Amino acid sequence: MSEIADRALEGCQVSGARVIRWLEDGEPRGAEAFRALYPHTGRAHLIGITGPPGAGKSTLVDALITVLRSRDLSVAVVAIDPTSPFSGGAILGDRIRMQRHATDPGVFIRSMATRGQLGGLSRATFEATGVLDAMGYDVVIVETVGVGQDEIEVVDLAHTTVVVSVPGLGDDVQALKAGILEVGDLFVINKADRPGADDTEKHLLAMLHGRAPAADGWEPTLHRTVATSGEGIDLLAESCAAHRSHLEETGALDAKAARRAEHFFLELLRSLAAQRILEDAAEDESFSYLIASVRARELDPYSAARRLVGAFELRIAKDEN
Amino acid sequence: MSDAKSIEQGREAWQRDTLEPRLAEAPERKHPFTTQAMGWPVDRLYTPQNLDAIGFDYVRDVGFPGEYPYTRGTDPNGYRSDLWTMMQVSGFGTGEDWAERGRYMLDQGLTGLFLEYDLPTTNGLDSDHPLAVGEVGRAGIAVDSLDDMEALLDLPFDKLQRLTSICNGPQTVNLAMILAALKRRGIDPGSFTLQMPNAILIEYTCVGRYIFPPDHGLRVAIDALEYSIQNHPNWIPISVVSAQLYAAYANPVQELAFSFAIAKEYLDAALARGFDIDTLAPYFSFITGIDMDFFEAVGKLRAYRKVWARIMREEYGAKRPESEQLSLTASPGTMSLTLQQPLNNIARLGIQMLACVIGNGGHAMNTPLHDEAHALPTEDAIAVGAAVQNIVAHETGVADTVDPLAGSYYVETMTRRIEDAVFEELAKIESMGGALAAIKTGYFQKELARQQYERTRAIEDGSRVLVGVNHSVREGEKRNIEIHKHDPDVEHRQIRKLERLRAERDGIATRRALDRLRDAARSGENLVPPCLEAVNAYATHGEMCGALRDVFGEYHPDSLTTGIS
Amino acid sequence: MARRTRVLLAKLGLDAHTIGVNVIAQALRDAGMEVIYSGLKQTPEMVANTAIQEDVDVIGMSSLSAAHMTHFPRVVELLRERGAGDKLVIGGGVIPDEDSAALLEKGIERVFTMGTATTEIIAYIEAWQAGRGAGRDT
Repeated sequence: MSEIADRALEGCQVSGARVIRWLEDGEPRGAEAFRALYPHTGRAHLIGITGPPGAGKSTLVDALITVLRSRDLSVAVVAIDPTSPFSGGAILGDRIRMQRHATDPGVFIRSMATRGQLGGLSRATFEATGVLDAMGYDVVIVETVGVGQDEIEVVDLAHTTVVVSVPGLGDDVQALKAGILEVGDLFVINKADRPGADDTEKHLLAMLHGRAPAADGWEPTLHRTVATSGEGIDLLAESCAAHRSHLEETGALDAKAARRAEHFFLELLRSLAAQRILEDAAEDESFSYLIASVRARELDPYSAARRLVGAFELRIAKDEN
Repeated sequence: MSDAKSIEQGREAWQRDTLEPRLAEAPERKHPFTTQAMGWPVDRLYTPQNLDAIGFDYVRDVGFPGEYPYTRGTDPNGYRSDLWTMMQVSGFGTGEDWAERGRYMLDQGLTGLFLEYDLPTTNGLDSDHPLAVGEVGRAGIAVDSLDDMEALLDLPFDKLQRLTSICNGPQTVNLAMILAALKRRGIDPGSFTLQMPNAILIEYTCVGRYIFPPDHGLRVAIDALEYSIQNHPNWIPISVVSAQLYAAYANPVQELAFSFAIAKEYLDAALARGFDIDTLAPYFSFITGIDMDFFEAVGKLRAYRKVWARIMREEYGAKRPESEQLSLTASPGTMSLTLQQPLNNIARLGIQMLACVIGNGGHAMNTPLHDEAHALPTEDAIAVGAAVQNIVAHETGVADTVDPLAGSYYVETMTRRIEDAVFEELAKIESMGGALAAIKTGYFQKELARQQYERTRAIEDGSRVLVGVNHSVREGEKRNIEIHKHDPDVEHRQIRKLERLRAERDGIATRRALDRLRDAARSGENLVPPCLEAVNAYATHGEMCGALRDVFGEYHPDSLTTGIS
Repeated sequence: MARRTRVLLAKLGLDAHTIGVNVIAQALRDAGMEVIYSGLKQTPEMVANTAIQEDVDVIGMSSLSAAHMTHFPRVVELLRERGAGDKLVIGGGVIPDEDSAALLEKGIERVFTMGTATTEIIAYIEAWQAGRGAGRDT
């Protein structure tokens, strides 16, 4: 049994933070600790917050923390920012907005960089939420990057997905339509004191009407908030809780949990398998040979990939004999 | 007079017969030559051809000093009648400490003084606030109450022409303190000029000494402006401190464009209160900083006046010359001073001061001090700073003719180029919704953060030379410059004074005055009168700011508005 | 999966000059590090908690006024109390030599004065990371 996992289960922030770090860095001892933590997951309410840049997601999360804390719920946040494709570095600034909660022992905020992951999440977001869940936080909020419209990965992670928009972004509401609008559970028009809020609401309502009804019978709710003043945040928090109850009552929570497990498992499998095959290929330099062949158009990428997997299978078979 | 054709022929012949042989034996040491801040290419030679290329027209582009478009200066006689007001920034310790230093500075021949407050004061906190620990009287003067301000103003007002009070966040509170203290000292407010930079939008952009969210910050500033114009018409109630933009590495075009966009935001807010542009505009003044590229500096100062005059006439329909005449205070820039080899900074200050005067940098100038990069200035540094001004004024002759570089092919080309680029940038800011919107979305902050990084990299990779830093570096150099020592006793003294004040005052009257201030903040009436009442009821600076904070809330910039996301 | 150096940059006290921290944040990012910027007017408690939750390798604190002598050592103290004393704590700003010496004694590993090249800071962090190698434990 992992000692650090024990401490994390007791709520030790130093230990929990270190396990997340190991998982993010792909260190084997991270997986080991996670094995010990995993049985203790499944209690927290996972809320995903997504929306375009400038919608005020971090401020909304900040306000939500305040309300949840006033209801005596402990809160963890994973805030994701993009990794620079040039240097691999990142500036993670989301938590500036939430710093007034930095000394509250019932709040844990973690910033993560995407590290090449697409879809609005970071590479180890699933793992991080698992650790925080096991540490005993009542609510775990994930704030997505908020740069693309295809940030729907969060739906597979969260129980409740909150889509944030603001007046004045105009076409962005249209752009939301294709992806996230289809799957959001709650919709927020933040900065609703600005001109144009009514128009945004009209647009959103029209689009939601056109949406196919959810399998679990949930009717998406629409909220107007001013996160900077806390206006509308109480109702939003209530609606999040109501959504969670709805999932429990209808049995949809189990279906979500199953989907999350599958998504997480498949993601890991893909990355582990690729990693394993690449390690194998690195040994005899077949990888660089194949890449050179593809580049020279002597071989197409499909055949090259198949050949690499074939070679791997052969080697496994040989090892078994 | 040679005509365009003969100049062109002459130039071709010169290039072929005279220049090229020289280039063949001595290739150029740089390629390309560029200006320091803008990175604009610098030609080998400027001739009348350059002026033809920009369609230069003497009357339209330059004109005469004291006349539109004021490119040659706003005083028809330059510095031949009056030299500029010589000022220096200095503030530290308690009010008594500062008054002593202020008297010393006036004795050095300076005629203007700056009041810089400590961080607790500019952040609207009293000296006994937990966040004030270690900061009281450190980066400026600690002012908690009317008593402190009264001690501060124990100055020979007969020698003082101008007093500049820099307290941008809680300007109405600071103004009320000054007014009440002057009254108690029996000093006629009309006998000198009080300048309040009142520069809150600059604070949001780069300096960071704000308290309330931007909309409320702007309202506080306009309240101070309105009250001052109505009651003390000889004062300068608003200055756009573009020197702070420059110190945050804005290039000349950004500095001017951001400053004018900010000025327009103030103007529009004040016009909305019923002022007339020709009443309002003459009250606006600007404080700029001068960098080391001499010609960029001179071009900037000349374009500064011209762009303002054009904005006033073309956009605001101003009618009075006073509206179109830019009121400018120029200061050699602290940003170009180096920590390394600090005595070199005296040379830098001299050169920048020269550019200030040649570019007709205004009615008041202040020199920063050569040891400023270290900490707070010493008395020696103050004396040298004053000497630099006097040397330029009396030994060089540059103040003896008006705008001596006018007509220079290079300077006129530079001036026009800056002017055009400023209007272009202003249009861009306008399309974002103006300065307040640009601040709220972090545009200004992000632009500056980018400049800061680029400039730092240029110094680190040596593409921008800084003597003592990346050129002529002396190994093992000992930095034995004298640093002004902070007096830890100041904090205790201030706290004891506060305790005594709170114990002795009429607590009920104080509380009532603070409630009245909160009501005023909610109602939208001008905040100066209720601030005055509260000052006289011995409410402290921090308590008054706290009352306003209760109503306005506090500003916390996010990742966008800090500029480095 | 490469290990990325994580750095917390914080401004302590009331001073709000951001040029230094802005430049360093961008330089560290471009050197491939993940920079958590927690903003202005941070207290030692905020800095320590943030460093723990973010599990950073390095904490860079900046002060251009008086905060350094009281606040920097307090951060080190808090980290040690909480069992997170394995982080590199460095400071920067306008800090007189005698103050620097006192800070070094109180567990601040290095004080960079104003004007230090970003490349020097990056090299220092990288050398420190390499020096402690993979043997980093809880």
